[in-house]
Amino acid sequence: MSLVNLLQQRGDLWRGADYSPVVQPGMPTGFDFLDQQLVGSGWPRGAVTEILTDDREGRGGLGLVVPSLAALSREARWIVLVGPPLIPYAPGLVARGVDISRLLLLYPRGQQERLWALEQALRSDACSAVLGWLGRVSAGALRRLQLAAAVGKSGGFLFRPVQVAQESSPVALRLRVRPAGEEVELEILKRRGSWPLGGVRISAN
Amino acid sequence: MHWLAIYLPRLPLEVLASSDDSRSSLAVSERRGSCRRIVLCDEAAVADGIRVGMNTAAARAVSESLCVLERDRGRELSALEGLALWAGGFTSQVSLAPPRGLLLELGGSLRLFGGIRSLLLQIRSGLRGFGYQALLCLAPTPGGALLLAGDGREGVIRDIAGLRRALASLPLHRIPLERGKRDALYGMGLQRLGDLLALPAAGLGRRLGQEFLHYLERILGQAPDPQRLFEPPAWFQRRLELPAEVRSTKALRFAARRLILELSGFLLARQAGTQRLDWLLVYEGGEMYRFRLGLRTPEREPARFQQLLRERLERLELAAPVWEVGLTVRDIQPLTGRPLNLFTAEQEGREAGQHLLERLQARLGGEVVSSIRWVPDHRPERAWRRCAPDEAASGYPPGEGRKEQSPTGRPLWLLAEPVLLEVRNGRPWYGGRLELGAERERIETGWWDGGEVARDYFVAVSHSGERLWIYRELGAGRRWYLHGFF
Repeated sequence: MSLVNLLQQRGDLWRGADYSPVVQPGMPTGFDFLDQQLVGSGWPRGAVTEILTDDREGRGGLGLVVPSLAALSREARWIVLVGPPLIPYAPGLVARGVDISRLLLLYPRGQQERLWALEQALRSDACSAVLGWLGRVSAGALRRLQLAAAVGKSGGFLFRPVQVAQESSPVALRLRVRPAGEEVELEILKRRGSWPLGGVRISAN
Repeated sequence: MHWLAIYLPRLPLEVLASSDDSRSSLAVSERRGSCRRIVLCDEAAVADGIRVGMNTAAARAVSESLCVLERDRGRELSALEGLALWAGGFTSQVSLAPPRGLLLELGGSLRLFGGIRSLLLQIRSGLRGFGYQALLCLAPTPGGALLLAGDGREGVIRDIAGLRRALASLPLHRIPLERGKRDALYGMGLQRLGDLLALPAAGLGRRLGQEFLHYLERILGQAPDPQRLFEPPAWFQRRLELPAEVRSTKALRFAARRLILELSGFLLARQAGTQRLDWLLVYEGGEMYRFRLGLRTPEREPARFQQLLRERLERLELAAPVWEVGLTVRDIQPLTGRPLNLFTAEQEGREAGQHLLERLQARLGGEVVSSIRWVPDHRPERAWRRCAPDEAASGYPPGEGRKEQSPTGRPLWLLAEPVLLEVRNGRPWYGGRLELGAERERIETGWWDGGEVARDYFVAVSHSGERLWIYRELGAGRRWYLHGFF
């Protein structure tokens, strides 16, 4: 028996030749450089993206997703915001091309209700994007959200403080953003189909 | 004629005790003349030696653990009325046959529901949803069907000859006859209805009365037997006394299922749907709690009502054990049957969106779910407002210029209340020194309605690189405020 045959009997070996990822087209982020870095050339669809920010509220990541929200708001589906920390400002969103009539703002009381609402919205195929502001949350809860997103085929975005970066996460994509005046500094902590990527700057507008 | 008799042998017990009642053995008693007798008991009681017809005092002596409940015919009748509302979904000809029966004329419904087997299957599964034990018999006459179902003979009898054969073997004690006359028949050695029918009619008439002969003719289909049909009320209003006090929302949901099933039959009978379900909970001690379930479009699917109720109940703390549940529906709107395969993708999407909205509102509360609108006002804090999701309008009203031309732009986040900024060395400070952008936007307006605003807005970059929307008062204080984040 040849070595190749022997190796093929082992279930724990990953063979590079078998690797043919079925890539779902993503949702264009609006930043060319970022699109190039992501599988499917955009934010993953049917999956959850975590965006970690230095400010504890998680307000800093909204600017990064607004260009894709502007595109998604042309669809006849909801864009759901669960527990935004401040008032999402209508004139600012409109100025960036977001059709705000597609926005659904939820302010559930407590973490349990927030997770429930996120899961419902992600699971329903009535939403194009679901944004959630969560602090500390268990990996099990994140996995549930990831599964729900796969069912509803919507894009989930969770904004969390950078302090959770050390905790492992089951989500598809994890980024860290840092504002830098007119630009933002991006770090890809985890992505599918490739290695992490450190410190790149893209224009914030 | 296709009369379906639904006979509920355990109804007196089922309206008084829930199926998972923890009490050991149960019996229902009723006053008959001077003493109380057992009219129905469960298996556990039978195993203890309790029998129907026993004197209550004797029964208690036989079994110490026996729990004797007093029969409540009012509740039984109410349960039958509820079933009649539900059955309206199958046929418009429903007749109450108290104390334990219901009659449905199904001749007109056979085609619509795909034949007799399929129809009976749907009726059975509905009855299971109510949690009643039921015996079903279909026969050409209502009286005959009821007698056979009451004797536990389920089945479908299609012709008069078959009905006559089936009735012939019915024991005489099932026939409504005065006790004295029945005993006389037993005395003559007659046991079954067939024995009676074999006798010459003239003699029977003399012994048992013409009235009884007419009764026999009606059950055998030799004379018409018009039934008094149940007339559903103009709107739906039902209250359900709970068999046992309910302490959990889960049990409450289960109890409410009967009302939801009744409602769906009521709506189906009218080809209607509803958008508003008004619920009532009566707590121990009589305190009442009301809440409304709203739907975005008229509905009648029991599963949808059930789901909404579940979401709503999950955020409800029961203040005390619940004794009674009520449901009132006055909002009744025409809803024609929609063939499922004619849905377009867009319609489906819209419906999914509506359903999500309903679910969220039911569970989280209406006020927790909202959208935002742009408002044509130069004052930043008044340039938006919260609104109901379906009230939201897209973007700017026609004719308005894009706000993007404003020198500082507009931030993505606004603070509900501007935050006063510290000033160090004459410069605004936010966790560090703020670098002010070159552009200044003066907003000076609102003097006419008391909400006067006079400010200079700037974009500032904080020490951490974050862009802030800040302003300086033009008035006396000349103070700096943080108003938003980009």
